[in-house]
Amino acid sequence: MKGYNGLYLMGNYPTPKVFIDAARLGMEYFDFLEIGIPFSDPIADGPVIERAAMKVIADGHRVADIFKSIEKISCPSSKKIYVMTYANHIFARGNGTFARMMKSAGTSGIILPDVPSAESDRFKKEFAPFGIELIHFITPENTYEQIESIASSASGFLYCISIRGITGSRFSLESEMRKKIAHAKKFSRVPVVLGFGIRDGVTAAIALRVADGFIVGTRAIEILETGGVGKLSQFFEELAKHCM
Amino acid sequence: MNKMPTANGYFGIYGGKFVPETLVNALGELEKAYNAFRKDRAMRIELKSFLSHYAGRPTPLYYAANLSHKCGIEIFLKREDLLHTGAHKLNNTLGQGLLARFMGKKRLIAETGAGQHGVATATVAALLGMKCTVYMGNVDMKRQAPNVARMRLLGAEVVPVESGSGTLKDAINAALRDWVKNVRHTHYCIGSVVGPHPFPMIVRNFQSIIGKEARSQMYTQVGKNPDFVVGCVGGGSNAVGIFSAFLRLPKTKLIGVEAGGFGTKPGQHSARFAMGRRGILHGCITYVLQNKDCQILPVHSISAGLDYPAVGPEHAFFHDEQIVEYVRCSDSEALRGCLALSKFEGIIPALESSHAVGYVLSNRKRFKGCVVLVNLSGRGDKDMDIIAREAKL
Repeated sequence: MKGYNGLYLMGNYPTPKVFIDAARLGMEYFDFLEIGIPFSDPIADGPVIERAAMKVIADGHRVADIFKSIEKISCPSSKKIYVMTYANHIFARGNGTFARMMKSAGTSGIILPDVPSAESDRFKKEFAPFGIELIHFITPENTYEQIESIASSASGFLYCISIRGITGSRFSLESEMRKKIAHAKKFSRVPVVLGFGIRDGVTAAIALRVADGFIVGTRAIEILETGGVGKLSQFFEELAKHCM
Repeated sequence: MNKMPTANGYFGIYGGKFVPETLVNALGELEKAYNAFRKDRAMRIELKSFLSHYAGRPTPLYYAANLSHKCGIEIFLKREDLLHTGAHKLNNTLGQGLLARFMGKKRLIAETGAGQHGVATATVAALLGMKCTVYMGNVDMKRQAPNVARMRLLGAEVVPVESGSGTLKDAINAALRDWVKNVRHTHYCIGSVVGPHPFPMIVRNFQSIIGKEARSQMYTQVGKNPDFVVGCVGGGSNAVGIFSAFLRLPKTKLIGVEAGGFGTKPGQHSARFAMGRRGILHGCITYVLQNKDCQILPVHSISAGLDYPAVGPEHAFFHDEQIVEYVRCSDSEALRGCLALSKFEGIIPALESSHAVGYVLSNRKRFKGCVVLVNLSGRGDKDMDIIAREAKL
């Protein structure tokens, strides 16, 4: 596929085996994986991902179990695995415990949707000794000055939340946001990747026209729920066809 | 003037703004608008006028003579139950409603547990001609059905929240998600001293009128400060409101009462200080009930307004600094407090406030001969079904 694209999967969802199979398949099509570590109160997620998180927790999978599964994906050196979770998992464990787990599972960065740049210092300090990148966000609410400062210090990739909303919302791209993405690309040394609302080949192709890549999440979870890894493979093919 | 929180929104190590990047500028705008609002003479006059002529302030300070004689304690009740809509919540929603209008926002959203904050928000939305959506857990909607009808009568849309445990914390999640989507024209009227900065500060300041009035009423009626000030603590707005006027007085001890529920196992109580540890929930660092794997635990209380797994960050600071002592009151002790106040004083308290009353009555030796000021934060009409069932009336 053209661009620098990511696939979101919820760790150990719907089962550890299906999750690992889906992740290995994803590695063939995408440049990076974003693995959700479930949190009981996921304020940035829509109903699909929230339901997946609740099931993983209810099935008794602990955070350590999910890292064990992540280890089994075996990430090629040309690709990366990022972890997406909420601040409490890192803060409440403290002492670099979470970073250590990430490092030994071979993941290279973390996405924390409830940590804005103003609160990110304590997390950067916690992850830096382990070489783990904290992914920065830009949103339609950021000013051009903020985008400049966030983008110029980004590492890994810059996560562009294209809409005001939660995961699984409808895709849209205001003209103002297109300008902001262009502005971010000017200052960022890493790919600017568009997420939230990418559902099919068409939206993915639009994302690739304005940004350096896209992340697909909610739609992949839905397909995995109803059609398993087989249908997911068809979905990846469709994306690839639109993004040649 | 209260120096807390810091410019970044911290009370010691607690507080902060742990929200999606999308909301950060909205929180900044809110803080700026609030600072302009509190300096604006016309706004101050309007708020004061609504508080007196619409809400019914000042609320009385009542010496509960019958109960006092029975227990050998001098019990004074700050009668927030007599405020319009039946609880202290209106102090905050009137303030935030006017602030939202001052900011040009046309829509209010709110979360609610017991329904009191939802009713208070719907009331202010009706008064100021604003749209209103209230998120409420489906479990809470069942146990507080009269308040659901009240909100709808006032013109608010009540949205059931079925995710998670279907209670207050899930309603806050839903309200935060709504706010992320509609941040341009919507104000999130948060109901307690919880959430990201500046909410804990704004809500505290709007509720501090309880303490200011109570302190001056104590002077007039008793001629001295109370030996103890007692308030129930869910998120903690009524307690912070009354405590704010009595902080760091050498002879006045402050007691916050958490919901002890019916046991000490997870899911049987809401005792964050007794059983919780530091964490991040709903935008701030505070004490949180969570399991070893850092997932938020289910909570319980006989009162829907106290079963919240986190607590306001300023309370967390008060706890660590030993400025306030936090204790527990069980469901059955709270119920006994409710029955005693009803029987001996003719006042039916909300089950939340009954925790403050219940703690004092269950520990009467500790308070013997002392002047005890209890914040009676709400009235019990909304709880009649539960009270009737539990007390076998």
